[in-house]
Amino acid sequence: MARRRVAITGVGLVSPYGGSTEDFFARLLRGESCVRHYATDDKPRALSLPAVRCADFDAEAVLGKALAGGADRYAQLGLAAAFEAWRHAGLTVGGEQEHPDYGVAWGTALGGTLAYERGYRDLWQNGRERISPLSVVLGMNNAAASHMSIRLGLANSCLTYTVACASAAAAIGEACRRIRDGEATVMLTGGSDAPLCYGVVRAWEALRILASGDGDNAACACRPFDAGRTGLVLGEGAAALVLEDWQHAVARKAPILAELAGYGASSDHANLVRPEVRGQIRAIEQALADAGLRPDQVDYINAHGTATPEGDPTEIEALRRVFGEHAAGLPVSASKSMHGHMMGASGAVEAVVTVMALQQDALPPTAHLDVVDPACAGVRHIVGPALRGTGARVALSNSFAFGGSNAVLAIRTDRNDTIA
Amino acid sequence: MNDGLEIVRGFLQKRLGVEPSRVTPEAKLPDLDIDSMILLELFFEFEERLGFTLSRDIPTPKTIGDLLETVKRLRTAKAAG
Repeated sequence: MARRRVAITGVGLVSPYGGSTEDFFARLLRGESCVRHYATDDKPRALSLPAVRCADFDAEAVLGKALAGGADRYAQLGLAAAFEAWRHAGLTVGGEQEHPDYGVAWGTALGGTLAYERGYRDLWQNGRERISPLSVVLGMNNAAASHMSIRLGLANSCLTYTVACASAAAAIGEACRRIRDGEATVMLTGGSDAPLCYGVVRAWEALRILASGDGDNAACACRPFDAGRTGLVLGEGAAALVLEDWQHAVARKAPILAELAGYGASSDHANLVRPEVRGQIRAIEQALADAGLRPDQVDYINAHGTATPEGDPTEIEALRRVFGEHAAGLPVSASKSMHGHMMGASGAVEAVVTVMALQQDALPPTAHLDVVDPACAGVRHIVGPALRGTGARVALSNSFAFGGSNAVLAIRTDRNDTIA
Repeated sequence: MNDGLEIVRGFLQKRLGVEPSRVTPEAKLPDLDIDSMILLELFFEFEERLGFTLSRDIPTPKTIGDLLETVKRLRTAKAAG
């Protein structure tokens, strides 16, 4: 029996630029950064760093008071992205329907960390003896997925993956497997995170891997693969995809945007923070094998590319070793250069970027890549304007996490299929 | 009682967008979208605003009037005790 194919029938995200998903992608093609200087008045030492915020996101306006008030920011962002993707797939938000064959698999690295921080502040800083009764349900990592399941009647499964920066990519891959295994016909998937709270930012600062850059320089603070890169830029965000059994999608005349053709997952089993090239190679090769692809059939890589000193050369070395002679001409870009590192959401945001890149035959650049670090050479870095008209049909989206968890998605468009 | 009603009205308007005129002593909790979590938030609101701690074994009220009576009784008992 032939393996079930998995269609991507809807995408959605919360754009830090403030506009639509289409607008988000158009800005990436123009090399426009949404990184801004972020400052707070926290005591004892205010935050001041380049960061990405969804500053225009109005949770009450998008979700209504009741839902927004019962969800922490990571879940609010996730719900907004999820509902957009659901509608994009031609499915209905609201109502009393129960879908035994529809499920959700969500990714988040941090969950409701803002709720926990508010509680700690109340207890220890503000001297209060009790905290909000919502603290547990706002803070729990599966809150976003649970809200989605409740609101959309997703009775099949309600799963949450917490794999640091690979959370969303792992969720997407595992959702794909549920459909292939015949466990579900439709899976809502993606990821969300809201890391801009005092304790989380201070924790990342302590690792000494955040990019420097103040004021006007903030926009170009994230410079993956550049010789002068200084580190990653924290960001909040969310993106969602609707995955669907191909035949189910065709039967209901859903718009098929692309095929999720392969998924590779591996563990470095080496070090909590230092990436390991062999682990990354295994994940990439698994994704290719799962999709039935040869390396020379891949047209584009949306890199993990966080702009850390160690991460970038390791990823490029993995690409050189997997793709061999094909690597030198293989277009590679890191859209994090513009939208920052949205932690557990990044794999979903970049999967959406990859789908749109294939759909529009327009590959976004790595912004602020002025001088390629020799250790990051050996692939075709997309610099300057977007690369258009290459006829790209197959792409990989890489996510490599702290803890050594690697997840790679292979996405394909096929002009012979019913592509909307 | 009236103070309590105003607390409930203010909370429900802010939290759920419920029109205050709908919040009457006769109103049933489900009709105002008050589920068990919202009820916990309401108890917390009373504790914060009135400055006392409600016991854990409060009977689940059916109406806004039941809720206000319970809070009033516990508050009176606390003051007497």
